[in-house]
Amino acid sequence: MAGVILDVRNLSVSYDTPRGPLKALRNISMQVPEKKIVGIVGESGCGKSTLILAIIQLMAPNANVTSGEVLFKDNDLLNHDLKQMQALLGVEISMVFQDPMQTHNPVLTVGRQMIDIQYRDKLSYSEKRQRAADMLALVGIPDAEARLNQYPFEFSGGMRQRIAIAMALMAKPSLLIADEPTTALDATLEVQIIKRLRELRDEIDCSILFISHHLGVIAELCDEVVVMYAGEVVEAGNVRDVFHAPSHPYTKALLECDPGHIKEKTRNLPTIPGEIPDLVELPEGCVFAERCSKIHDACSARPEFQVVTESHAAACHLNNGELVK
Amino acid sequence: MATSAKTIKPTKARSELGDILHHLVRDPLGLVGLIIVSIIILSAVFAPWIVPYDPIALNIPDRMQGPSLAHLAGTDQLGRDTFSRVIMGGRVALQVALPTIGGAIFFGLVLGMIAGYGPKWLDNIIVLLFDTVRSFPTVMFALAVVALVGPSLNTVIFVIMVTSIPTYGRVVRTLTQSLRNSEFIDAERSLGASVFRIMTVHILPNVLGPLAVLAAMDIPTVVGLEAGLSFLGMGVKPPTPSWGSLLNDGYNLIRNTPWLIIAGGIPLILTTLGFTFLGEALRDVVDPKLRGRGSK
Repeated sequence: MAGVILDVRNLSVSYDTPRGPLKALRNISMQVPEKKIVGIVGESGCGKSTLILAIIQLMAPNANVTSGEVLFKDNDLLNHDLKQMQALLGVEISMVFQDPMQTHNPVLTVGRQMIDIQYRDKLSYSEKRQRAADMLALVGIPDAEARLNQYPFEFSGGMRQRIAIAMALMAKPSLLIADEPTTALDATLEVQIIKRLRELRDEIDCSILFISHHLGVIAELCDEVVVMYAGEVVEAGNVRDVFHAPSHPYTKALLECDPGHIKEKTRNLPTIPGEIPDLVELPEGCVFAERCSKIHDACSARPEFQVVTESHAAACHLNNGELVK
Repeated sequence: MATSAKTIKPTKARSELGDILHHLVRDPLGLVGLIIVSIIILSAVFAPWIVPYDPIALNIPDRMQGPSLAHLAGTDQLGRDTFSRVIMGGRVALQVALPTIGGAIFFGLVLGMIAGYGPKWLDNIIVLLFDTVRSFPTVMFALAVVALVGPSLNTVIFVIMVTSIPTYGRVVRTLTQSLRNSEFIDAERSLGASVFRIMTVHILPNVLGPLAVLAAMDIPTVVGLEAGLSFLGMGVKPPTPSWGSLLNDGYNLIRNTPWLIIAGGIPLILTTLGFTFLGEALRDVVDPKLRGRGSK
């Protein structure tokens, strides 16, 4: 694979809890290739946010990285100290958060915040202001110059999210991490933001790591997808391959639960029965076994993550040739 | 009002401070507060030029007179002009109030932000410190300090400042704690902002608004405290006029001449009202969301 910008290898993270270590991430491996959009899907509590926070080294104080490495442009971020991370964040790696209503300082004008964020650059105030206005225009905010004087509360949710994206892209980073940036927005805005993100990817030439639990958004936006379940990667690969021919029962179940896929009239939307396993006392075998409709004898052993097709891999015993069907 | 481009442009020229002032004047409460406070400050600054008589010059033949054209607020038991003493007393009041509040805000801000953002053990130490200081009644603490170093204006300033720090520190600490977990701080951190930068650029302006309001409302308390300490004979020494010593004299002579206590009390009431109005109006104005709620 040519040009991998972010390479997470065997990353394990656990949280200290009174009951013992909660193994939030176990042997996560994933890659973000250059100029590609990679989506991470999974239900709440599967470790999506922990993964991002581990990547940008802003973990909660009770979180420990127990193994693995996070290679960003071949440097292990886990070895970076605070100073080195601060020099990297906002310049090479930027992030957009879930709730646009909360991501701006409420008492400073948007212009001031956007100018302040450029503190690393040696530009004059008017140049910085011009750049802020250009960025706002780039993310599609009309009359950008005048709107710099407004406070965050004077903008709608969708506009605030675009401002957040503008701020994150200010330094033209090589990796943009977006943590459910459209979850708090309504469907029409979601489409706008996604379109804009893809255009921006082409304009700025950055890779995007896009976290969502909305499969439709992932299918629309991403080149590759990583499906996470209970702190493990259960399936990963090209979006088309994974969504058209899912080889892990969890991915299949997720896809079946997406209302967009339902063809017949139904009173109850499909769900996946059961709950995520206890991450303090993990089951011996496959983490999904308890909720899996295709459970069989082999599931009491841990499945290997193995290649299914050329651009597609999954962790399920069903993919071992002799066991299928 | 619609937020079209045309209505936004004029705000560009105005600085943030000018913006606040602009909205303050539009609020009737703020305007009244601002006028009263300006009068008090101006009269304190220009006191030596305003006073018709020397406030400490004795004039025994004219003692204990009622208000007249010659003595606007009468004279006291030593024949000193009460009006002059009230004006000069305002100087003392502000000389105490401003450095005290300023110092208390500064130390309260620094300690409060450290406690709110710093590690848990540091927070515990600072809170313990605040609680210790707070557990002394101000007057008792003042008595102890005065017994050690003797009564003077600086003692009063020091004592009131030290006992006011926890009030500000606690507010700042609580605000900082709630802010540090807010998403915009996380967003800043994810964009590589240092702790210093988060504190000064993002937490400070969020804390300053409520603090300014607290300070405006605290000034009358401090003036009252100074008056109280002077009244107890622990503050300003006798010949120097202060509102507290005026009240003290007036209290002793309330049967002979009520003018003294009235003249000493009115500026105290006015200061309280003025700064409270200003504080109330300021609260609405410094929060951009509340700004212009009634004035537009």
